[in-house]
Amino acid sequence: MASDPNSTDHPSDVSEPIPNPSHTEEERLASISLEEPEGNHVAVSRLLSNGSSLPADFHAEDEIEVVEEELLGEGSSSHGGGGWREISEQDGEAVPCSPSSSGYAGERGSSGPSSGIEEVDDGVNLQDDWVPRKRHDDEDDASVSWRKRKKHFFILSHSGKPIYSRYGDEHKLAGFSATLQAIISFVENGGDRVKFVRAGKHQVVFLVKGPIYLVCISCTEEPYEALKGQLELIYGQMLLILTKSVNRCFEKNPKFDMSPLLGGTDAVFSSLIHAFSWNPATFLHAYTCLPLAYSTRQAAGAILQDVADSGVLFAILMCKHKVVSLVGAQKASLHPDDMLLLANFILSSESFRTSESFSPICLPRYNPMAFLYAYVHYLDEDTYLTLLTTSSDAFYHLKECRLRIQGVLVKSNVLVEVQRSMLDGGLHVEDLPVDSSRRSRSVSPYSSQENNISGSLRPHMGLGGPAGLWHFIYRSIYLDQYVSSEFSSPINNSAQQKRLYRAYQKLFASMHDKGTGPHKTQYRRDEDYVLLCWITQDFELYAAFDPLADKVSAIKTCNRVCQWVRDLENEIFLLGASPFSW
Amino acid sequence: MASRRRTLLKVIILGDSGVGKTSLMNQYVNRKFSNQYKATIGADFLTKEVQVEDRSFTLQIWDTAGQERFQSLGVAFYRGADCCVLVYDVNSMKSFDNLNNWREEFLIQASPSDPENFPFIVLGNKIDVDGGNSRVVSEKKAKAWCASKGNIPYFETSAKEGFNVEAAFECIAKNAFKNEPEENMYLPNTVDVTAGGRQQRSASSCEC
Repeated sequence: MASDPNSTDHPSDVSEPIPNPSHTEEERLASISLEEPEGNHVAVSRLLSNGSSLPADFHAEDEIEVVEEELLGEGSSSHGGGGWREISEQDGEAVPCSPSSSGYAGERGSSGPSSGIEEVDDGVNLQDDWVPRKRHDDEDDASVSWRKRKKHFFILSHSGKPIYSRYGDEHKLAGFSATLQAIISFVENGGDRVKFVRAGKHQVVFLVKGPIYLVCISCTEEPYEALKGQLELIYGQMLLILTKSVNRCFEKNPKFDMSPLLGGTDAVFSSLIHAFSWNPATFLHAYTCLPLAYSTRQAAGAILQDVADSGVLFAILMCKHKVVSLVGAQKASLHPDDMLLLANFILSSESFRTSESFSPICLPRYNPMAFLYAYVHYLDEDTYLTLLTTSSDAFYHLKECRLRIQGVLVKSNVLVEVQRSMLDGGLHVEDLPVDSSRRSRSVSPYSSQENNISGSLRPHMGLGGPAGLWHFIYRSIYLDQYVSSEFSSPINNSAQQKRLYRAYQKLFASMHDKGTGPHKTQYRRDEDYVLLCWITQDFELYAAFDPLADKVSAIKTCNRVCQWVRDLENEIFLLGASPFSW
Repeated sequence: MASRRRTLLKVIILGDSGVGKTSLMNQYVNRKFSNQYKATIGADFLTKEVQVEDRSFTLQIWDTAGQERFQSLGVAFYRGADCCVLVYDVNSMKSFDNLNNWREEFLIQASPSDPENFPFIVLGNKIDVDGGNSRVVSEKKAKAWCASKGNIPYFETSAKEGFNVEAAFECIAKNAFKNEPEENMYLPNTVDVTAGGRQQRSASSCEC
C-alpha cells in the first residue's frame, strides 16, 4: 500500500505496492501498511508526507547522504542517495568495500558471486562451524558498515530505550532506537498499529509485545510473514531468559532499563538469528530427530520415561539440534518452538559445555509467566541431556537422574549409535529408491550393523537424486516433526543453502498465506530451482529440483520421497513416545 | 547488553518554537551552532555519552518540535523520560510564561510515578542576544518560578556561544540519575504444576 507523499488527498493508492526506485527516500518510506486492532489492513499515507511528522525529518537529515559514492561504485547513482538500501549482511568481519564492488549485494538478497559484498562463510557448513562472534560493537548508525548490513534486529522498550541490537553498540544506537519508538508510538497514537514500512528494497517490520518493541530491518526479500515469525522467536528467546514478568517492571516504572537483565546473552540472540538462515525449524515450527534404529530410540525413551515419572517435567536427550528422545510428564507437552529456543540457548551458551548446570529458564509456549529449572549436562561433545523441573532445589535429584540415565545409555550403546548417526548424516537424495523393488534395500539404513559401511560408500558429493531432485523437507503435521535431506551437490556451500532455505521460506509463507491459502500444491520454476510443495492433512513436502527438471517426473519423485519417508518413519521420527497433542 | 554497566537516560527537551532547543542540543552534542533557523519536525534524536562522577551515562536526547501541531505526539514521546528540560528565550516573555504549560503538559502525558520530585531543569537561552539589551525576563523572575515549582535547577545559557551548555547538561545527567530507583524489582515466578502448570491461554498468547 503506497501513497504519494506529495498529495495527502490520496491516502490510499493501493495499486503500487513497491515504490518506484527513482522516488525520493521519503516516498519510499511512505509505503506503509498498517493494521487496525481488528487486523484489517488500512492504507495510511500521511505519516511521512509533507515533512509534517518526525520520521521523514529523521531519515532525510541523517540517514541518506552518508554512504559515499566512491564506495558504492558503479550503478549506485541511479538509485539516489538511499543510504538505507546499501546495507548488506556480513556475518563475518566487516568486509571493506573495494572500489570495484557494486555495494549492492543488498539489492538482490543473496545474489551471484559477482556483487561485491557477499556472505563470507562460503564453503563452511552453516550449522556446524559457525561461532557467535562479537557483533561489531564499534559500529553505530553513522557507520557505513552498519548501514550495509542486510538484516538488522532490534529490541527496545516502549520508552525508546535500546535493549538489543544485532549489530553495533546499543547505547550508541540510542538515537536510532528512539526513532523506531517514535514511529511505532506515533501510529499507535492514532489507534493503529504499524506492521511494516517498505523503503525500496528494505522492509522494516515491527512487532509490539506490550512494553517490548521488536524491529527487523531487512533487504533479504524475505516475506513479511517470515520476518515477523523471526521477531516472534526473538521475543520468545527473550522470554526464555527472563519470563514475561519483565512487563511488571515496566508497569511500575516506564523508565525501566532492561538491557542489564540480558547481560551476557548476546551469543544466544546472534545464534538464533543465524539459525534463521540455516534451521528450517525456525519457520516450520517443527523439530527434527537424529535418525536412529527404532530399538535404540526406544531404549533412550524408556530410561527418560523412568525419570519423568519421578517428578521431572520434561526429559530431553538431544544431539546438537536434533532430538534423540524426549519425554514429558503426564499431560505436559512441549511446543517445537520452545524446543528450538531451549536448544539454541543451551548450544550457544559456552558454560553449559564445561559443567553440569542448573539454570532457571522459561518455556514461553508452556508458560510465559514463570520459570522452570533446567539441569543441563553434556554426555559427550554433541549430546546433552536436559531435565526440566519446577522445583528450584531439585539439583541433586536431577544429578542422580542424570547418572542413572547416563549409565543406561552407555550400557545400551545408545551414545555410540548417536555418534555413528551423526557421522552418517541423515537422508541423502542419492539414496532415494528408484522403484519399489529396490526400496527394501534402503528401508533401514540405521538398524543393521552391516550398514555401517554404507555411510562411507555413499556418493555424498553426488549429482543429486533422480529426476534432478536436489533437496527436500518433509514435515509430519501429526508429529510436529520434520525430516530434511542432507545437502549435496550442487547445493554445497552455505550461501546456496541459505538461498534455498529462503526459497523454502517464501514457499511456506505463500502456501500458508492467510488471505489466499492454505493451498494444497504449488509448482514453481525460476532460474535457480524447480520448487514443489505439497500439503495434505498429514504432511507438508517441500522439494527443490534442478531448474531444468521435468514436471511430470518431479511430481513422481515427490511421491517416491513421501513413500520413502513413510518407509523410514520408525528411524527418522520419534513415534508415540508421549502424547504430543498441543 | 553491555559488558560493563552503563546507564541510559532519556532526556526530553521542551519549550516554545524558536527558543533554541535544537541549537542547545547541537551545541552540546556536536559543538556547533548555526544562526539559521530550521524548525524541528516532530522530534530529533541525539545520543551523547558523558562521564559524571566516575559513572558513564548515555544521554538519549529527544529534541521535540515546539509548534503546537506536534503536541499530539505527547504520550508516545514523554513515556519513560528520566529528565525533562524546559527551555525559554530570555528575550521573550511569552516563551517564559508558557513554561508552566509545558511542565503541566509533560506531567499529564508522562504521568511519572512521583510528579512532585520528577527531575526538571530550566534553561533560559539566548542571553547573548543584543548584548542582553533586549532581555525581558530577569534572572530573578525565572529563579522565583523555579523555586515555586519545587526548586527546579536553573541555568542561563547561550547556545550560540556555548555558554553554560556543558554545565547545564551535566546537571541534567546528575538529576536524572538521582531520580533512578535504586533496585528494579524483577521477581519472576516459578511454574506451579499443582495449579495446572501450563498457563491458561490468554488472548495475548499465540494460537497453535
